[in-house]
Amino acid sequence: LRPRPSRNADAHQAWNRPAHGPGLSARPPSGTTGGALDAMVKKDKVVVFLKGTPEQPQCGFSNAVVQILRLHGVRDYAAYNVLDDPELRQGIKDYSNWPTIPQVFLNGEFVGGCDILLQMHQNGDLVEELKKLGIRSALLDEKTDQDSK
Amino acid sequence: KFRLAYPLLLCAHRMFTSQTEGELRVTQVLKEKFPRATAIKVTDISGGCGAMYEIKIESEEFKEKKTVQQHQMVNQALKEEIKGMHGLRIFTSVPKC
Repeated sequence: LRPRPSRNADAHQAWNRPAHGPGLSARPPSGTTGGALDAMVKKDKVVVFLKGTPEQPQCGFSNAVVQILRLHGVRDYAAYNVLDDPELRQGIKDYSNWPTIPQVFLNGEFVGGCDILLQMHQNGDLVEELKKLGIRSALLDEKTDQDSK
Repeated sequence: KFRLAYPLLLCAHRMFTSQTEGELRVTQVLKEKFPRATAIKVTDISGGCGAMYEIKIESEEFKEKKTVQQHQMVNQALKEEIKGMHGLRIFTSVPKC
């Protein structure tokens, strides 16, 4: 089961787009088996499996994940488009034992889908979790500006 | 004023809608799998097509578990039903004593 590197130009851009940092420029390790997926989710601090790409999400819930990350100023993350690869689409569901997409992994650990990420965003947990990964949320800087007024 | 209007609105809502078969089935499964649940609300948010559900469930069985674990419990409970769904939204909570 070798993943087909996407022949679609847009998707290819998503793999290599420098704006998202080094995480996206590598190809996924071959296969969508547990071992390969394990490597994928651990390779980058923030890994998301979406329907579509960060530039063009194909689903409202995947878009929600993209927008939340954008709000926090997280730019360096790996985004895998499950619509590109049916084996990946099913494989990741089996791997995390979670029936839906999007799926968010922080530091190799499955965090949840868009509902959970939204909840974490609203209750401040996401800022904390990002801090643990050495990522400073952009929202902290907003808050400091407000405090100093 | 809103607090007075709300129960009336709910009443009117119930008059014009009834639970879909899907909502009833999912609610039933949840009642069986979470016998200590204090509140279960299943809403078909796909316009009655059974494609997408919003599930709200409150139970002490969720105590001290991470949200993702709580959601996993619901996923496990609805494993069969989920096969026929396009998606679902889960909101779990622990009863406030």
